[in-house]
Formats: sequence, C-alpha cells, structure tokens
Amino acid sequence: MARSRRDQELPHAPLHVFLGLATLVTVYPVLWVVSIAFSGRQTLAIADVPSDPTFLQRLRAVVPWPQQWSTANFTSVMTDQPFGRWVLNSVVVAIFTTLLGIFLSCTAAYAFSRFKFPGRRAGMMSFLISQMFPGVLTLIPLYIIMVQVLGLGNSRLGMIIVYAATSIPFSVWMLKGYFDTIPKELEEAAIIEGASAGTIFWRIVLPLAKPAVAITALFSFMTSWNEFILAATFMDKEDMYTAPVGLRFFVGGFSQQWGYFAAGSIIVSIPVVVLFLYLQKYLVSGLTAGSVKG
Amino acid sequence: MTAPSHRLRFLAGLVLAGGLAAWLAHGFASDARRRVAADGEVRRAVVALRAVTSLVESSGGEGDGARRAVVAWQAGAPGVVQLRVARGMQLEASSAAGDAGGQAAPRRLAREEKPLYDRAQRIATAVRTNREEQGGRKDEVEVERLPSGGLSLAAPLDLDGAPVGIVELETAPLPPAPSTPWWPFLLAVLVPAAAFGLVMLLAGQRRAVLAVAATFLLAASLFVLSRGTVARIGEERRQAAASVAERVREQASLVRSASVSLGLPASAADPAGWDVDPFRRPRGEVASDGSVVETRREAAVEEEVRHLGRSLLAAALLALALLLLLGLGAFHRLGRTIKVNRQAYVYIAPALLGMMVLVFYPFTYGITLSFTDSNIYNTQKPLADLWVGLRNYGDILGDFAFAKKVEGGFVFNYLNFYWTLLFNVFWTVTNVTIGVTSGLLLALVLNTRALALRPVYRVLLILPWAMPNYITALIWKGMFHQQFGIINQLFQMVGLQAVNWFDHPFTSFLAALTTNAWLSFPFMMVVSLGALQSIPADLYEAARVDGASRWQAFRAITLPSLRPALVPAVILSVVWTFNMFNIIYLVTAGDPGGSTEILITQAYKFAFERYRYGYAAAYSVVIFGILLVYGVFQNRYSKATEA
Repeated sequence: MARSRRDQELPHAPLHVFLGLATLVTVYPVLWVVSIAFSGRQTLAIADVPSDPTFLQRLRAVVPWPQQWSTANFTSVMTDQPFGRWVLNSVVVAIFTTLLGIFLSCTAAYAFSRFKFPGRRAGMMSFLISQMFPGVLTLIPLYIIMVQVLGLGNSRLGMIIVYAATSIPFSVWMLKGYFDTIPKELEEAAIIEGASAGTIFWRIVLPLAKPAVAITALFSFMTSWNEFILAATFMDKEDMYTAPVGLRFFVGGFSQQWGYFAAGSIIVSIPVVVLFLYLQKYLVSGLTAGSVKG
Repeated sequence: MTAPSHRLRFLAGLVLAGGLAAWLAHGFASDARRRVAADGEVRRAVVALRAVTSLVESSGGEGDGARRAVVAWQAGAPGVVQLRVARGMQLEASSAAGDAGGQAAPRRLAREEKPLYDRAQRIATAVRTNREEQGGRKDEVEVERLPSGGLSLAAPLDLDGAPVGIVELETAPLPPAPSTPWWPFLLAVLVPAAAFGLVMLLAGQRRAVLAVAATFLLAASLFVLSRGTVARIGEERRQAAASVAERVREQASLVRSASVSLGLPASAADPAGWDVDPFRRPRGEVASDGSVVETRREAAVEEEVRHLGRSLLAAALLALALLLLLGLGAFHRLGRTIKVNRQAYVYIAPALLGMMVLVFYPFTYGITLSFTDSNIYNTQKPLADLWVGLRNYGDILGDFAFAKKVEGGFVFNYLNFYWTLLFNVFWTVTNVTIGVTSGLLLALVLNTRALALRPVYRVLLILPWAMPNYITALIWKGMFHQQFGIINQLFQMVGLQAVNWFDHPFTSFLAALTTNAWLSFPFMMVVSLGALQSIPADLYEAARVDGASRWQAFRAITLPSLRPALVPAVILSVVWTFNMFNIIYLVTAGDPGGSTEILITQAYKFAFERYRYGYAAAYSVVIFGILLVYGVFQNRYSKATEA
C-alpha cells in the first residue's frame, strides 16, 4: 500500500525548482527595496553600471545586495525628512479610526444581531450596497463636506471620521456574523438575573466576542494604515501627510528620492506585514463568507 | 392605550401643518419684500451715481470743471452724504466733510485712502475683463452696504470710451426695511381650523371625510394666502420701478439745469442708460423720457413673483404632506415603533448617523452632481443653477469618436469612454486569468504531501499580498524605470534593448499587468490551497482503485471541489481588479496619453485634475451602474450554480 502510493507521487526535485523560481520572483522586489534602503544612496540602481559594461557588471547591478551597507537612509528619513511626523499622523489616524469604527460597528452589529425591529433588513442591505459605491463618486461630495463645509481638510480628525464611517459596513457584517453564533441563552439568563441591556452588552456579549472584535479592529487598522486616495485628496499640506502620501511624495512627480522611499516603505510595511501574516486565515474566510452572502 | 380620535389628529395636523406653512410663507414673503425694497434703493442710488458721472464726464472729468460739476450736482441731490472722484493716485474732486481746507481736492490720495485707490483699480480691471470677454463676469458698478446703513457705490469714469477713474458716492442711511405683518398668515391657520371645527361636528369620526375636508381647507387657505402674498410683492415691485423712473426724471432735470448753469454742453448721456445692472448693462425698464417701459417691467415682476410662487408652493406641499401623515396616524405609528424598539435604534443610531452623513449623503449628492455642469469655476453657485439634465451622460455614452483622422493615419482618442471601458475589461480579464492560473498552479504544487519547506514557501509566496499595495505599485514603477530600472538591466544583461515602458500603450499595460499579477496571485493561491486541503484523501484513493489516471482524478475530483471556494474568490477579484485604482494611478498614471487609464482613474482625473466635477460624477455613476449590473448578474449566476 505504502509503496504503491509512493509510485503515484511526483518526484519532489522539479517541484522544488518550480517553487524556488516562483519564490525568487515573488521575493525579488522585496529584496530590491531592502538593498536600496540599506545602500545609503538615493538612486534606484543597486550598483553603478559603467558606460560599456561587461556581463558580470550587468549581473552585479541586478543582484539585490547593496554595494556597501549603510543605515544612513533610515536615520536621515526619520531626522532630516518629516517622515517621522507622517508616520505619527498615520499612527494617530489609524488608532483612533479603529477605536471609533469598532465602537460604532459593535453597537450596530449587536442591534442587527439581537433585536428584531422594522428597518433591520433594509439597514443591513443598505450597508452592503454602500460597499459598491464607487469611491470617486463619494470623494467629490466628501471633499466638499469635510473640507469646504466643516473645514476639516488637513486635519487628523477629518481623516478619522471619514475612515471610521467608511469602515463601518464591513465591520458590521463581520461582527454581526460572530454575534449570531453567541448563544442567546446566556443573555436570557442574565435578564432573569435582572441585568440591564447595557450590562448584557458590555459585560457579557462583548467579552465573549473578543476574538472577532480584535480581528475586525486589526483589519480596520490595516485599512486606514494603507489607505492612499482619500488621504492624498484631503491632506495637501506637507506636514499633515500620512505615511502613504509621504512615501509617494518621495518618488512621485520629479522627485527621485528612492533611498528615502525604500527605507520608509520598510518602516511602514513591517507592522502590517506581520499583522497580515498572523491574520490571513481569518481574512480569507471573512472575505469569501461576505461575498457568498452578498 | 387608545389612539387619539381621528378628529383630534386631523385638527392637530391642520393647526401644525398650517402653522408650519404660514411660518415658512411669512419668511419667504418678508425676504422677498426686503429684497424688492433693497433692490429699489440700490437702483435709485445707481441712477444718481450714473447721472453725476455723466455730468463729470461732460465737464472733462478733471480740474475745476469737475469740481464745480460735483458741487452743483450735490446741491440739488438730497440724500447724498459725499461724492468723490478719483483718477489714479489723484483725488480729483470731493465733497466729503474731511476734504476741506488743506485737504481739499485736487491732491494725491493719502495712505489711509488706499481702499479708494484699490477700488478704482478693481473696477478698471473689471471693465477691461468684461470688454475682452464680451460679457459680464466682474462687477463694474460696485455697491456696498456701510455700517451707518447707507450705501457706498462706485462706477467707472469713462473718457473717450476708456476707464480713467471712478466716481464714488455715499448715501444717507436707507429707510428701514419694510416689515411684513403677521395677521394674514395667522388668519390662514385660524380660519381653516375654525372651519374644520364645524366639519368635525358634522362628520363625526369618518376618517375619509375628515381627511378630504382637512386637506381641502388647508389647500384652499394656503392658495388664498399665496395669491395675496404674490400679488402684494408684484405691486411692490411695480412701485419700486415707478420710484426708479421718478429718480431718473429728477436726475435728468438736475443734470440739465447744472449743465446750463456751468455752461457745459448739453450732456449726450441718455437717462435710460442710468438704470443699469452691475455690468453697466441698461435694465431697459425706464425709457429716455423717464417713463416706465411696461413690458419690461412686467417681465421683471413676473420673474420676481415666479421665484416666490415656487417657494410658497413647496411650503404648501410640505404642509399638506405633514397634515396627511399626522392625520392618518403615520407619525403616531412611527413614534410607537421607535418607542417599542427604542433599544435597537439607540444602538444603531451612531453608526447610522455616521453612514448617513459620510456615505449615503455624499452618494446622493454625487448623483445630483452628475446632472449638473459643476466645475471649479462655479462651485459657489447653487446646483439648481447648474442643472444640465442628462447632458453629461449623453456626452459620456454618446461619444463614439474612437479615433481621430490625422495626416498619415489615425490617432486613438484615449479619453473616449468606450476605449477606457474596453481597456478596463481587457485589464480585468487578463489579470484574473493570470491570477487564477498561477494561484491554482502554485496551490496544487504546494499541496503535494510531505514536500519539504512547505511552510517557508507558503509564507514567502503570500508576502506580496501582505505588502500595502501602494508600496508595491511604487516599487514596480521604480523597477520599470527606463534607465536605472532592474527590468531593463536584466534585458540588457541577456542582450536585449532597454524598453521605455511607459511610452507605448502595450508595454505600459504589460508593466501594470506584471505589477498586479505579482500582487494578486497569493489571494487565489491561499483560497485554492484551503479548498484543496479540505478534499478528503479517500476520494483520490477510491479513484485510483477504480483505475482513474491522475488527469481524470484532477478533472473529476479536484476541480469540482475547488469550485465552491473559487467562484466567490473570482467574483471578488473581478471587482477588485476592475477598480484597482492604486496600481494604474501609481504605476502607469494612464501613460502614454491616457491609453492605460481604467474607468475609476479616469473619473478621478476628470474630477481632480480637470476639475469637471459634474462630468466626473456622471462618469462614476456609470461605473456604479456597471458594477450593479455585474453584481445582479453574478448573484443570479451563483444562485443558479448553488441550486
């Protein structure tokens, strides 16, 4: 039996070659960024190529290993450039977006999950449909409301409010799905004990839903951390940039500060990449579950 | 709890709705009266200003002649506080109290008089601009309200058809704005309420009768009220026209007598040209002899009244709706629902409020915007003034000019909607195909039992998904750089030419495709891998026992088991790719010449680079429509496959 199965198996060596190549292609851009970041220079070439290069010199230029290692890009992007401030903006915006968004979503999701009331179905559907609104269509009015009417252009508060509101539908759907799985009997028991609705929500349901709340919070943190278009539209003053806008500032238009960009990218990416790798199994199930329901 | 009787509900509804309508109508009416009165005052002052300007112009516009003209005119014009004539840095003439003795004109303007100088410059610029554009855009006659309650007006002083300075006039405080009495509005509520009281006695609790009676009474009363209000405003507008005409006659005789006493040639100015709008275009309501031109006046009255009539109609409709809602108990039921489900609504309210203000309202506003010609030059105007109906949609969907004929061939019109749509679809199909193929292939390989280093490969292959996609886009943009980019270094290493990636639509597309493929295959891989791992090994065992080949097992077992996971993943990735803003915007930026733009980036550029907000909104609505159709289609398809 064991022997016959082995006969069926493919030899592993070609598979390793295939996977090795795929991994190389996948990892190469990352290695490229790392070499640029640690090169201590601003150019996007890894090595200087003379005017009439040999094959080896050409090869040297594509090997992602800096000619000399230096952390100059990291120190000067944080000190000479306002990147530290941009990261701070991003951190503040992402944290408060998460807090506000989660508060709003938890309460709404709980109501959608536990209460039967007129407008429940319509509410859930409207949240779902709102996910289909093209961003550009709402961007113009949002710009008018936030910047021209409320005067919240170039303000962290403005970004927080906008991000929190736009994160609500996804979070509500995720959380409602989880609340639905918490047995109702627990709450009924609490009601018999004389607990108020507030106590039940804060003391019983939320602690039970901790894992789902944590995951949703991390997603909404990552979304606002990575958001680019809204931030680029609302934050046009240089010291109010968020990290994504700032990174583009280094290499957009005629600016060619690839060293700063690379160093900044690494600083910005590490937390989300770690979070992502830790969270990805929840992400896949959440996304596909949502789309099946839709 | 018993519901309040129908009679009481309708009576309360009648009083509340009638009160609301009356309150609104009073607001509209007093606004209109104030506006008519103020317009009349301004026009009368403008007539005086233009009359004295023509006198100063015929006196030569400078020197003692001008000063004598000013003095002679002001002696005959009551209600004028001061008059100043400025030319460049020079104060030519002034009747201001402070400009006597050592300060008397002519003299250079003092530093504190910079506002006067600025005003002259502003007006001269306005005259030139309007002349160049052959239209009115900037005010040539400026009117400001002074803290004292008077007006400060300024108009250009023309010599030989060119603006050389300004004449500035300050009037005494205007009479207070007329107040609108309350009693007709109060009556409009009380009379139908009293009448309804009688109906109540007769009709008892018959709901239909009560509803019809209340509606009829309120409608009739509001109709009478608005007829009266409108007629009254029309009358006031006519009186204003008459008083302007009277002012024209006064000024004409004043200018005539002043000209005679100063020995000036009879002014050539036509008194009909004194009653002008801010762009110095005659309104035409007053004829040269100072009589009212009735046809023009009635047109103006019509205009004024139509505006008011529309507002009043809206208020009346609002009131009738409120009456019926109250009377038929909608609010009562709504209130009860809210009370019963108080808790649920309290929990939802904050999220719903946020969504309303920042998601649904902007969406509705965006749709409204798509029917207007809103752009950066007219954002301060109300949307109703910019209404263009379906023109934007017509421009987008009805533009079939795909290519322009030029010398020696054709040039594609990359701004054309259908080109962008075609490219967008092509972009989506290629990307999703590549993503599914490579993701599935890698998943199949990774699913090999007992393969060494499997977790390591897996983590490294997921990396592109974990990276923020704007960083990915910028990295690849750098790697595709023509001179220093790694891709071109590789090409040259194997003896190929360096490619200028963003100079040709196809290579530009390839660059974006590569970037997006790199970024999107991990998602498909993870989804497929999850599905593959959930297939029980027994199935393959059984197939093998039945003598199925590896390929047959793949077709009969693997593919069908992948389907439930892959279908939603493909649906999702189609939407993502279709709207993959960051990659296109940051990698190709549409280069060359907008050929690699997808719909969403095109809409963004229309809004924030070409500043055509209305057009961009219509563009986005079209995108929304496409996604909606796709969503409905996909929903039906996946339901059909589930069944």
